[in-house]
Amino acid sequence: MTVDHQQTDHDVIKHGHRHEGPYKHVVAFIFSIVLTLIAFAAVAAGGVNTTFTVIILLVMAVLQVLVQLGYWMHMKDKGHFIPILFLVGGFFVAFTCVVMALSWVWW
Amino acid sequence: MSSAHVDHTHGTLPHEPEKATHEGRNKILGFWLFLGGESVLFGTLFATFLALRNQTNEGPTAHELFNMGMTAAATFILLTSSLTSVFAIQAMHRHKLKQLVAWLGITVVLGLGFLGLEIYEFAEYVHKEHFGMTTSAFSSSFYTLVGFHGAHVLFGILWISLLIAQLFKKGLTVVTAPKIYVSAIYWHFIDVVWVFIFTVVYLLGKVG
Repeated sequence: MTVDHQQTDHDVIKHGHRHEGPYKHVVAFIFSIVLTLIAFAAVAAGGVNTTFTVIILLVMAVLQVLVQLGYWMHMKDKGHFIPILFLVGGFFVAFTCVVMALSWVWW
Repeated sequence: MSSAHVDHTHGTLPHEPEKATHEGRNKILGFWLFLGGESVLFGTLFATFLALRNQTNEGPTAHELFNMGMTAAATFILLTSSLTSVFAIQAMHRHKLKQLVAWLGITVVLGLGFLGLEIYEFAEYVHKEHFGMTTSAFSSSFYTLVGFHGAHVLFGILWISLLIAQLFKKGLTVVTAPKIYVSAIYWHFIDVVWVFIFTVVYLLGKVG
């Protein structure tokens, strides 16, 4: 955990934690908004190159999900190995379902 | 707040009250397992949607149907509610009950705004665009996937509202804190699913 110099009010507790300031969450929020705007703008601009647009959309979605999971669901904090295992396991099966459906139905 | 809990709000609560008890930690761990299951469940609905999204049965296509302005508004509302939910947890870690309740309240209001937009959107599709549940394979899989997410939002709204009532009744304790934490994790998960929905369903639908 990074040391947050702005937070000094009665904040060092028994595990050596400090309270997190709102700043990094506001930054994460602004980052999410920017990613969303890029995704919507890529579609609004439209028509230039579909493959390129699709790649932009997928990259924005992945970055957005990482912000949500890492910062807001605290997965980047220590002691989150088992939660990550559960969720990555779920995502893996979910992704397999998508590949299965697309390949079995249309190939 | 009852006097029995005044101590907890004035310094004897640990920094992270949600992880202070064994039960609290188990509750959070169990909830992550549940979210793993939820991911699979939404994965199957996404798989169905992706397989059927071009089967429009001469009904409206995704490109004709979707209104990007409304989707963008819904996305920004839900993103903002994720931020207010994080602020609620930060208030909880500082043992500020009033702030905690206020941020949870704002989260619920934003959730209601999102749900209102979705209901309006669905009503418009059904009445103006003649895009009902049985119009096409595309419409069925669309309503099932997006509606299922909407039902999760509704459940989250009811859940967090009940937790606010419980906070008024019982205050912030090592018993109520894990419930708040878990509901916040749930709310972020709903936002994660929405990121996939607005990308895969709406934006990719608009691209073609």
